[in-house]
Amino acid sequence: MRKYRAKLHYIATIGVLVALIEACKLAMAQIPNVELTSFWLIIFTVFFGRRAMIAVPIFTLLEGAIYGFGLWWVMYFYAWPALVLIAYFMRKSDSALPFALLSGIFGLSFGFLCAIPYVFVGSPTPGLSYAFGYWVAGIPFDLIHGVANFVLMLVLYRPVTSVMKKVARPL
Amino acid sequence: MAKNKKLILGCVAAVLVLAALVGVWFAFAKGVSPGNKSVIIEVVNKAGETATYNVRTDAEYLRDVMEEADGLTFVEENGMVMSVNGERADYVADKAYWAFYIGDAYCNYGINEQPVADGDVFRIVYTAA
Repeated sequence: MRKYRAKLHYIATIGVLVALIEACKLAMAQIPNVELTSFWLIIFTVFFGRRAMIAVPIFTLLEGAIYGFGLWWVMYFYAWPALVLIAYFMRKSDSALPFALLSGIFGLSFGFLCAIPYVFVGSPTPGLSYAFGYWVAGIPFDLIHGVANFVLMLVLYRPVTSVMKKVARPL
Repeated sequence: MAKNKKLILGCVAAVLVLAALVGVWFAFAKGVSPGNKSVIIEVVNKAGETATYNVRTDAEYLRDVMEEADGLTFVEENGMVMSVNGERADYVADKAYWAFYIGDAYCNYGINEQPVADGDVFRIVYTAA
């Protein structure tokens, strides 16, 4: 019985985590490249460890279902898992600054990561030049993304982790 | 001490990425403009030389994207594109025309009606009749 309760708790918690990410994403959709997805994925990984990583593929599937399975979707298969993996190795840290730096660098690199699938399209034009143009054109948005990620993590890390320590049970 | 070293390393990495982005932007951003769709226009002239234009745009139709492409010029007469980058292809006078492709297929519409989607690659090719 206890085993089933634990499983139920795990499934329900992952559902809540993904819902939280998606709700924040929709609420902030009007502000270009300011998002809390990076913040939440880092926090969940730090707080719940590797068992929270299952939230990433579920979130990815949900994004595809909502916005359509386009070429942009491919980057979700490596960008978010990479962020979560790095956060996992940094999870022992108890300061906001390292995670703010991680989140900021991730935001700055987001356009570059998004451009990778475009290397493989654009025939007959060499895909590399297409992907490069795609990346360069989005750099102003990457700068906003990086700065916003850095500031959001710096501001929200302490209050959110202290609340989570009170209300969330480990998975 | 090791913790501080890692933190300094992280700060340096962030500054380096930031500087690289700003540098790339100033070096290569000429000719691209922010927008939600990424479109490529290739112009192949009479000599077979190709000029490529990467455009970030919110435009819905090809004509607007062509107007936004930095360095690309064209003249339209009665719905037909007669001249691209100063090179005229008049079907009657030159026995040639500008053929429009989306990917490898002919465009089904004129430039005023040709819809544009993210990732589209258009080719404008000088073609002898």
